[in-house]
Amino acid sequence: MKALWLSVLTLRESVLKGTLLFFFIVSNLILLFFVIALGVTEEGGTTSLTLFGSIISPRGIEGFNAVQFILRQLFAGSTFWVLLFGLFATAGLIPSMLEKGTVELYLSKPLSRTSLLFSRAAGACAGIIFNLLYFAIAIWLIFGIKAGAWEGGFLLAAISTVPMFFFYYSVVAVTALMTNSTGFSIMFALIYYFFSGALAAREQVLYIWWDNPVFHRLLDVLYYATPQISPMIESATELIGPDFMRSRGMESAGGFDPLPFVWSLLSSSLLYAFAAWYFSRKDY
Amino acid sequence: MILLTSIPDFLNFSPPMAIVSTTNLSKTYETGIFRKTQIAALSGVSLSVEDGQIFGLLGPNGAGKTTLIKLLLGIAHPTSGEAAVLGHPLGSVAIRQNIGYLPENHRYPPFLSALQTLMYFGRLHGIPRSHLVGRARSLLALTGLSDWATMKIKKFSKGMLQRLGLAQALLADPPVLFLDEPTDGVDPIGRKEIRDILTTLRRGGKTIFLNSHMLSEVEEISDRVAILNKGRLVHVGSVKDITAHRLEYEIQLTAPPSPEVLSGLRALCKHVEVSGNRLTVHFFDQTQTQAVLDHLRTSGLALESFSPKKSKLEDYFIQLLKPREEA
Repeated sequence: MKALWLSVLTLRESVLKGTLLFFFIVSNLILLFFVIALGVTEEGGTTSLTLFGSIISPRGIEGFNAVQFILRQLFAGSTFWVLLFGLFATAGLIPSMLEKGTVELYLSKPLSRTSLLFSRAAGACAGIIFNLLYFAIAIWLIFGIKAGAWEGGFLLAAISTVPMFFFYYSVVAVTALMTNSTGFSIMFALIYYFFSGALAAREQVLYIWWDNPVFHRLLDVLYYATPQISPMIESATELIGPDFMRSRGMESAGGFDPLPFVWSLLSSSLLYAFAAWYFSRKDY
Repeated sequence: MILLTSIPDFLNFSPPMAIVSTTNLSKTYETGIFRKTQIAALSGVSLSVEDGQIFGLLGPNGAGKTTLIKLLLGIAHPTSGEAAVLGHPLGSVAIRQNIGYLPENHRYPPFLSALQTLMYFGRLHGIPRSHLVGRARSLLALTGLSDWATMKIKKFSKGMLQRLGLAQALLADPPVLFLDEPTDGVDPIGRKEIRDILTTLRRGGKTIFLNSHMLSEVEEISDRVAILNKGRLVHVGSVKDITAHRLEYEIQLTAPPSPEVLSGLRALCKHVEVSGNRLTVHFFDQTQTQAVLDHLRTSGLALESFSPKKSKLEDYFIQLLKPREEA
């Protein structure tokens, strides 16, 4: 119960800092865009999807599902930006708890340091996850009501972002604890965010830098030892219209792959465990 | 033959309970990239604080006062030594369940009001909501913040924040309070009010661990003091003992004494200082007072006052630390 209160205050702090409010406003503007722009038209006996009156189902491609196409693009794009935005909105929440004069107040309460850390992280993630789920459910409803396309896979993909952000936040938590600096936490998490994309494609992008087997194994270890952000987004996107890519003749798409989530769960658990161990030993 | 199966209460001479006890408590901070620089913040501190006392912790800046409190509360970890608070070993959650803490330069979430702050920290302490609302309001009244209960604390002055900090420390009605500079930034009237609150709390049986730079304040309300310097404990004792007069008296005369009178006094006393009509005399023992008074009367000098000169804690503090500082 005590830990829950800390999470609630953390959520409140992130709301009052304005970043989450900004995120909420941007989400609503995008939703408004779809409410106004999205439409359905009947032409020659077939139903097509329109944006501002223009048909967006390209002719000549048999079985093309415009709803799935838009939702896939929307999910992949918005998840990328939401995670990035979430980083800016929440990276300062752990360092602000560790500020001199504040940390003493928290550490003098009858809560374990592990509870303190995880409550703070949960509160930080809650705001982003709430906003993301709000946006996803609203998009799902808009497409369902306006186009009659109730794409359940989009909701599943949206739900998959809940663990995704919590996994990613483990990197922020460790950096914040070790540096006590909001700026450094943001900078490091940002570098990691883009670097993780490069790690996912290390064979094409990073191996060519240095043709050394030790370097290659090191990159492999880094890939598995840290949350796999890009593979998780790619895998979750496959939940939206699983046969969409195949319908476009792209057989390489293998559907939803749980492995990036499993590896990320393991690596982020290790990172959180390290953060808890480090926090419990640190003097303030 | 009478068998005593239990000891009657009046025969039970148990020593006063030690609320805080430390044995050779030390803390060394390691700094630098490779942690090669070592700073001894506290070295071998052994002390004991008894139940129902106000215990003053004194020392110059960097003496280790705050470090000692942080070690006792589990905010920092000792390098060596042992300590217990209320019989619980350091780091125990049971300690934090039974203490109230007002840290130095504390920072509360600025977006909360005074009442919300108390509600929030009360919930973190595990106080049930039903009990908390009334408790928070009564503490705001006690610390003179009732009129500002709903004001955001980012608008509070330093003095108001100190009062709020004290209210926060008292939320769980803990038996032990650790107060780090509780009157810092508070105006003289507010300081007096805080001192009154602390003495009332002591009367209610609370033990207060008081860390303050205001020596006069510590002298006024503390029962015992510990003086730290450069991480070492240089004195522990009762304030009464420190400030007790040491056979020194001040005599106010109606006229300045003549050289003959003075030479007579010097023959009777250990030391005599003259400043106009005022004399400061230091006796060898208490029995000399009557002889001195008789000498003054027979010399035709009238006395305006005769009073023992009390030492100040500040004088003792400076006297104790000055040679060390110079060394």
